Amino acid sequence: MANYYDIDDILAEEEFVPVVFHNAVNGVKIDESTERGYVEQGSKAELPFWLARELHLRHAVSMRVPACFNQKTRLEMQADAACVDLRSRCPYFYEFGCKLAPLCDKTIGLLLSYSFRIRYKEVLYKAHTIAFGAATKFLALLTKEETNLYEAAQSSMVAFKRWRMGGPRLQRASILGRKRKATE
Amino acid sequence: MYAKKGYELVKEFASGEKGQLQPFNEDLVNQVIDQCAQHYLELQGLIRKMQGENVDVRETRNADHHGALIHHLALIRNKRCLMAYVYNRAEIIRNLAWKVGLELLELPEEIQEKISHSEKNYYGKHSAALQSYMADVGIDLNVDMVPPKDPYIKVRVLDDMGEGILLSDKTANLARHSMHFLKRTDAEQYIARGLMEELTG
Repeated sequence: MANYYDIDDILAEEEFVPVVFHNAVNGVKIDESTERGYVEQGSKAELPFWLARELHLRHAVSMRVPACFNQKTRLEMQADAACVDLRSRCPYFYEFGCKLAPLCDKTIGLLLSYSFRIRYKEVLYKAHTIAFGAATKFLALLTKEETNLYEAAQSSMVAFKRWRMGGPRLQRASILGRKRKATE
Repeated sequence: MYAKKGYELVKEFASGEKGQLQPFNEDLVNQVIDQCAQHYLELQGLIRKMQGENVDVRETRNADHHGALIHHLALIRNKRCLMAYVYNRAEIIRNLAWKVGLELLELPEEIQEKISHSEKNYYGKHSAALQSYMADVGIDLNVDMVPPKDPYIKVRVLDDMGEGILLSDKTANLARHSMHFLKRTDAEQYIARGLMEELTG
């Protein structure tokens, strides 16, 4: 299990999964649009992953494959994985996929490794070559994990340049945030 | 939807820049706790209902059981969100003590405003522990890790820092835009706080 306190892990588990209820449930309002305080057997709903997993393990619901791993996405991935806008589909595509694969569809694993292989190359390549202005368009396609990789690649490049050129060793602590103009 | 407030709290933390502090959102934290109380009430209600119907609470898997289960899971989820929020903030606050300064009053004002009362307490205790440990081993652990080529560096003062500031080997008059040749260990903390910059070449 990932770190209990990991912010990204918590956010990844909030992604929604479509489920079908095997049992009726009393005293809960899954759908906020209805006033009913219960769920009927066989009804469909979308639950966040943390809830769906526990209910799935207790055989109270069964999971369906979420939209971001459906056939349409797979076809797009096969066409050109590097150009697919994964952020709007699921910002935690890889983490969510890893959690989901053993529970609902084992083939998600293949999809993940295939897309990561192609996209990783693109991310590293762009991180070193792309001009700052053009980067925003490319960054808008990346998942959280890929953005982290992109930033790591860039900061290592900056560190290398600074090491080669020399420069002040001591700097303002980054923890204080970007420098703001003093209000006069 | 269930445990939504906890998610909002974590989301707010994640939306800030990495490793930087945002104001402690006491309002939202209280809302999460209220939501926990709400889940607990409904959980109790369902359990009581099961007991009233004389069914075995441990073994039965009926609709009430699953309702209670969902409320229980939502409670645990909210707890995890709260814990993660406090834990990750504590990590940043420890970093402040290591990188910026061991005294609360030395921190820039905009940072001080973002720290809640109990976090200030934590900061003070962490600094005190750090200080007593460094006094015991006799080494300043929070200075730069790379050995300097020269113990003195040239700095420029970026902000008005007042007159007659006591450094380890002299008192200096650090007016704005003045340049000085200072002991590196003296200058480090001021550079970290953005009051000076190092000049090279």
